[in-house]
Amino acid sequence: MNKNKVSTKPSRSIGELLRDNSVPLMFILICAVCIPLSGFSPSYLLDEIITRMGRNVFLILSLLIPIMAGMGLNFGMTLGAMAGEIGLILASDWQIVGIPGMVLAMIISIPISMFLGFVCGTILNMAKGREMVTSYIISYFINGIYQLVVLYLMGSIIPIIHNSIKLPRGYGIRNTVSLLEMRQKLDNLIPLTIGGVKIPVATFIVIGLLCVFIIWFSKTKLGQDMRAVGQDMQVAKDAGINVEKTRIISIIISTVLAGFGMVIYLQNMGNLATYSAHSQIGMFCIAALLVGGASVDKASIGNVFLGVILFHLMFIVAPTAGAKITGDSMIGEYFRVFVSYAVITVALVMYETKKRKAKSRAGEQLAADQAAEEELSEEQ
Amino acid sequence: MENKKKKRMILFRILTVLALIAIAGVMFIIGRGHTVYFDSKAVTYEGTTVEAPYKIEVYVKGERVAKLYEGERGMAGWMGQNFNMELEITAEKGGDSVRQAVSMTLPYNMDGIILNIPALLKGLPEQAYLSEFIPAAVEEEATEEVITDEFGITDEPGGGAEEPAP
Repeated sequence: MNKNKVSTKPSRSIGELLRDNSVPLMFILICAVCIPLSGFSPSYLLDEIITRMGRNVFLILSLLIPIMAGMGLNFGMTLGAMAGEIGLILASDWQIVGIPGMVLAMIISIPISMFLGFVCGTILNMAKGREMVTSYIISYFINGIYQLVVLYLMGSIIPIIHNSIKLPRGYGIRNTVSLLEMRQKLDNLIPLTIGGVKIPVATFIVIGLLCVFIIWFSKTKLGQDMRAVGQDMQVAKDAGINVEKTRIISIIISTVLAGFGMVIYLQNMGNLATYSAHSQIGMFCIAALLVGGASVDKASIGNVFLGVILFHLMFIVAPTAGAKITGDSMIGEYFRVFVSYAVITVALVMYETKKRKAKSRAGEQLAADQAAEEELSEEQ
Repeated sequence: MENKKKKRMILFRILTVLALIAIAGVMFIIGRGHTVYFDSKAVTYEGTTVEAPYKIEVYVKGERVAKLYEGERGMAGWMGQNFNMELEITAEKGGDSVRQAVSMTLPYNMDGIILNIPALLKGLPEQAYLSEFIPAAVEEEATEEVITDEFGITDEPGGGAEEPAP
């Protein structure tokens, strides 16, 4: 019996390892097929990946803390993105440019993000166990308010001076706000080019600081409380942790970080699509995190980096590879959007399946234990 | 003990808010962006006429931003109030050029500032060489080019290419 157990354990663990990492492995396979087909040079791919890492990693890192608190993938990060955009619109109107403009936009975004995070966290506390779908719908709800503010209140109630930002009718913000004076100011703050590949050193330093913060935070009392809440809310409550407050704080931190991330993201782009820049950001960030091997209840900094590399590598090579295979670049374009949604679906299905399996395994174990106990008592 | 801890927490929060306000204030001062326009045009001030030199080259942060012949205009972006530039002035065609460093304080309330270089070099008062640039009202809306990566793919209301109807 024992011998049998020893011999089956390694094969099971390999199987589990493959199952647990099926999404990253699938993406590695896709990339391995698409990279040669695309014909891009390694230096081009490296340059693109590094640019996209600088652009997206901060945003994706903002998702880690709610996962730690057991709140799943925070689709409500879009709220922080909207706050960051409002900060950028105001900083642009006040003509505060460069890094100071970015810092100002971040500072403006803080109270907005905190308020929205508080609202989101409070609602999520009312919908325990359904956090992801609730936060997804909240993001749509707040998007409506954002549009109301940006389209009607800015310029009429909130002063907007510059006509380059305002709509010709005198109120509301244009579809595009130019961030030319902020464009890649952080990325180019410490210029470094290695072998033709531009490295956004300052952006990576900021990302590194956030990683350090997350590691430090997870070791603080609040971080430990979040872990405890994430593992079992009832046990955490019995241990004297204010579960509701802890969950709200995790969402507030995530929203504030998402606001900062959006400012970093948009400074790289150099312009702001006022009404649409934030709309898909949550979806793509979550997809990237899942591609990195994260799940609804477990994610790490490593997952973020691996996810950005694999997900964006696929984004870069898929259209060209699609064009080579089918003769139509749109196939690749559709493919990568389809894959983004598919990966989220697959990850959610896998999470649910795993949860059910664990539950049934626990039930089986309990039944076996009870049977053994009964057997023992009968023997006695 | 509990009360002391609470008080300390409130104090810490107030200090954080004040620090953020202070940083925002500093950003307002050091980050104010201006577009500086350089005119090389003859100017008449209180009966004195100053002629423009043959050629002026304007260097900002070591980079040549404008090469102006008589009647021409150049421009450069600048962050903050203390503006520094270097001018390379050629008085006459074929003549030697003279390099001159110019420092000045830009007015905070102006986005676009026009500097008349000949008047500035002549040492005329500020009202003679400095004026505000007011962009002309544009009737027709230029097509807006939105640069996005794949995240921009959307069919969101308000996210279309068209401006919302007035």
